[in-house]
Amino acid sequence: MLDIKAVSAQIDVDILEANSPEALEQFRLKYLGRKGLIAELTNAIPGLPKEERARFGQEANSLKDKLRSLVVEKQKTFAGSSGPAAPTVGDLGLPGISQSRGHLHPLTQVTDEICAIFNRMGFSIVEGPEIESEYNNFTGLNIPLEHPSREAFDTFYLKDYTKMLLRSHTSPVQVRQMKNKKPPLAIVVPGRVYRPDAVDAAHSFMFHQIEGFLVDKGIKFSDLKGILEIFAKTIFGDDIQMRFRPHFFPFTEPSAEVDISCIICKGKGCSVCGRKGWLEILGSGMIHPHVFKQVGIDATRYAGFAFGLGIERIAMLKYGINDIRLFFENDLRFLRQF
Amino acid sequence: MKVTYNWLKEFVEIKIPAQELADKLTMAGLEVVSLEEKAGDFILEIEITSNRPDWLSVLGVAREVAAITKVGLRAKNPQPKIKTAKGNLRIEIEDKKDCSLYTARIIRGVKVGPSPEWLRKRLELVGCRSVNNIVDITNYALFELGEPLHAFDLDKLNPEKIVVRRARAGEKITTLDQEVRDLHSNVLVIADKAKAVAIAGVMGGQETEVTLGTRNILLEAAVFNPVVVRRCRQALGLQSEASYRFERGVDVGMVEQASLRAAQLIREYCFTQEVFLNSSGLTKHKERRVKLDMARVAGVLGATIASAETKQLLSRLGFTVKQKAKNILDVGVPSFRQDVRLDVDLIEEIARIFGYAHIPVSLPAIKPQITANVRRGLVSIVKEALVGLGLSEVITYSLIDKATLGSLGLECGVQPIEILNPLSQEQEALRPTLIPGLSRAVSLNLNQKQEYVAIFEIANIFLGENKPREELTLGIALSGTKSFLLEQGLVKEEAGFLNLKGIVETIFARLGISGYTLNNQGRSAGIHIQNEKVGLMLSLTPQSLNKLNIKNKNVFVLELSLDKVLSFTRRDKKFIPLPKYPGIARDISLILKEGLSVQEILFLLKEKGQPLLSEVRITDYYQGRQIPAGYRGLTLSCFYSSNERTLTEKEIQPTHELLCSELILQFGVKLR
Repeated sequence: MLDIKAVSAQIDVDILEANSPEALEQFRLKYLGRKGLIAELTNAIPGLPKEERARFGQEANSLKDKLRSLVVEKQKTFAGSSGPAAPTVGDLGLPGISQSRGHLHPLTQVTDEICAIFNRMGFSIVEGPEIESEYNNFTGLNIPLEHPSREAFDTFYLKDYTKMLLRSHTSPVQVRQMKNKKPPLAIVVPGRVYRPDAVDAAHSFMFHQIEGFLVDKGIKFSDLKGILEIFAKTIFGDDIQMRFRPHFFPFTEPSAEVDISCIICKGKGCSVCGRKGWLEILGSGMIHPHVFKQVGIDATRYAGFAFGLGIERIAMLKYGINDIRLFFENDLRFLRQF
Repeated sequence: MKVTYNWLKEFVEIKIPAQELADKLTMAGLEVVSLEEKAGDFILEIEITSNRPDWLSVLGVAREVAAITKVGLRAKNPQPKIKTAKGNLRIEIEDKKDCSLYTARIIRGVKVGPSPEWLRKRLELVGCRSVNNIVDITNYALFELGEPLHAFDLDKLNPEKIVVRRARAGEKITTLDQEVRDLHSNVLVIADKAKAVAIAGVMGGQETEVTLGTRNILLEAAVFNPVVVRRCRQALGLQSEASYRFERGVDVGMVEQASLRAAQLIREYCFTQEVFLNSSGLTKHKERRVKLDMARVAGVLGATIASAETKQLLSRLGFTVKQKAKNILDVGVPSFRQDVRLDVDLIEEIARIFGYAHIPVSLPAIKPQITANVRRGLVSIVKEALVGLGLSEVITYSLIDKATLGSLGLECGVQPIEILNPLSQEQEALRPTLIPGLSRAVSLNLNQKQEYVAIFEIANIFLGENKPREELTLGIALSGTKSFLLEQGLVKEEAGFLNLKGIVETIFARLGISGYTLNNQGRSAGIHIQNEKVGLMLSLTPQSLNKLNIKNKNVFVLELSLDKVLSFTRRDKKFIPLPKYPGIARDISLILKEGLSVQEILFLLKEKGQPLLSEVRITDYYQGRQIPAGYRGLTLSCFYSSNERTLTEKEIQPTHELLCSELILQFGVKLR
């Protein structure tokens, strides 16, 4: 006959030693398993004298309850580790496993960044065709047919379509938009443009521009300065210096070229800025009254400014790229850096 | 254009060092691109914009220096005391539109020889080679005053008359650079009674060149039509300091003065005996006047500039200013400022000298137009999806060599749009497909030892129809083997058509497009949405790969018309309620004869499995040892469910058995 009191004391000792999930399982099997002590006690009941059976049964049951609650309590102390052990970190020197993402072309990234800046200021993004009429590319922009100012805009013409050409700048979209919409207008135009330039590290016969213009009542040159300052500082950082230099564009008057202090040497003079300390980033000016006349906007009521910049130029400055051809070679070793 | 610091000082007092002067000129719109100290002087190289021919001279730059530094121009050139008799040379101008003024100064008894040291040196500093004293003096006057002059050897001319006329058909001339030039009616020439002796405004003829033996000269100073000179220069491919200035427009008011200046120097350095002058054409310049409202100045610039300051500044630039009314100026434009026509032209002058830096910074109230650029947004979605799938974006040239289309087997029956004036054969046509550019990029990267290339481009293709048309197109190219290093080891995946299919599915899903089909045509497959062909995918032929120098790799390309695809975009997504009752999945493993379409099997199952079969997916396909040759293994997972109740095994059994027997009956498959 088992002494239930002695068993109970033994249980109290054993449970203290069951300090791992494995040991607790051993403990459970020893007492609560199919061949465990409780089973043994229960099996012994029929052999007991009748008057002892009920008491013994009750004591065995309460022992069983005690065991169960001890196991549950103990399990809680191993919080959450009742299953298999947590994986170990292992060798983190091995390559990480993930989907390999592709890369957007750096010119797309820069275009998107520039468009987003102007978008936030309220400019809409509009695109236009790459094949243009001579009128939209030149005449409508106050660039006379036979004038030295055309020299800066050498152009590819189409063979079988008279007076059609590949736009040499994004400005024709200015003509299209101003003709078809009423002021106020706040628009930026990204796009591909073409000029028959021999290809070298600094020139490409195909490149990208962003054109922007704002037309409304009372637009001033000082507004142009403000908008472009926000743009340049957002792209190149708050600490750059800016300067506006008089220049000539047939479609603006007054016209200005915009320089920023060299982002490489901070204005001290280096090979990137040609020892000048300044980098030219864009051309701009107040829209010429002749352009307004061409598109049917009353220049006595409305004024506006326009600007245009080369995306390759901005990307080259931003990332320190020294050869424009890299953008069109599409070497993955280049593209993956962006 | 080059000028020197000391030369400028002859016209204007300069108190600032050369570097500071260069900076100030740059900020006034005369961009000094280099400053070099040489032979006790400074050479300033200035980039002159095409609207300012008056800056193409020392005098012009000096005038600018005077305005910037707020000093007066030196009263230079005390008019030379040359007694000039009117000569008896006849000057005929065929068309006054070609030449508005022609003057000929006959100078007799000159002694031609080397130039004095100072003259040679000064010309060298501005990049002009010394020839002899007469030629050097004409050049000196050109650089100093901006008026091109030309000296003829008078004794080699027929002395009766000088004619300014268009060249006759078949006429020829040997120019000073010893080239024989064929002339035509687009070319304006200076001729004597018998023949052309110079190309007007561009270059003189060799026959009448001033040489060491020359005794008497004819000194020409004239104004030629800019467009005519430009066409001549383009037609003959001949450019000179003279043509550069005539094309931009020379100052008619400077002709007389420049001619006199040269004559004075010739008398001083070439021992002249007699001088005669003949001229023909306009000599009086009609002054243009522009009204300037000071309120407009402030309105355009956003800066307030005092009226007194404005007046002073314009005067220093050579304008004559009268106060017409309060705040209204009446400005007279000098003959050398043909570019100034409108008040904004004057406003730019004021702003330039006032300094752009002194104009304040302000921000306009922008009234945005509330129009979303939907197309650009969708293109952006497609780009992001492709990047997420591991493809990198490329940008390739829109211009191609026509022959590449043939060599890649991509002729589409239509001639590509050709360029009239390409610089090379590689730019002779606009591409009607993105595939050549993508293929070249694949080739470049494979040859750079890339194991796997997955690229895309979104750009226009160009189609020559009645009118040229642009179509926004997506091109994709895949090639090589992609490897993943997983914990269980290296997994390799070779690019193929199913990768292209996966990309198409992802893009269409992203754009909300369903109901598209792929039509297998062997080496290629058409992509259709609602019976409209929107693109195709294909593999490059061995011949094409060979042309591209691609070895042991296949290239899979896809081209989709985004203009067409985007028109099918559905942005009205609707939520479908989640199933309320669990369903039952049952697999069918089968062996299928090669060549039978899996797509048809799926169609059949979907049709016959109604209404209990809610989804059927291919979960495995394989070929190999366990499968007999000419067959492939396929595992289909059928999912049965109902919106009304939980289905039991017993309930789905008849449907599932029907499907199995239909597969055997219709396709002759063997179940495994």
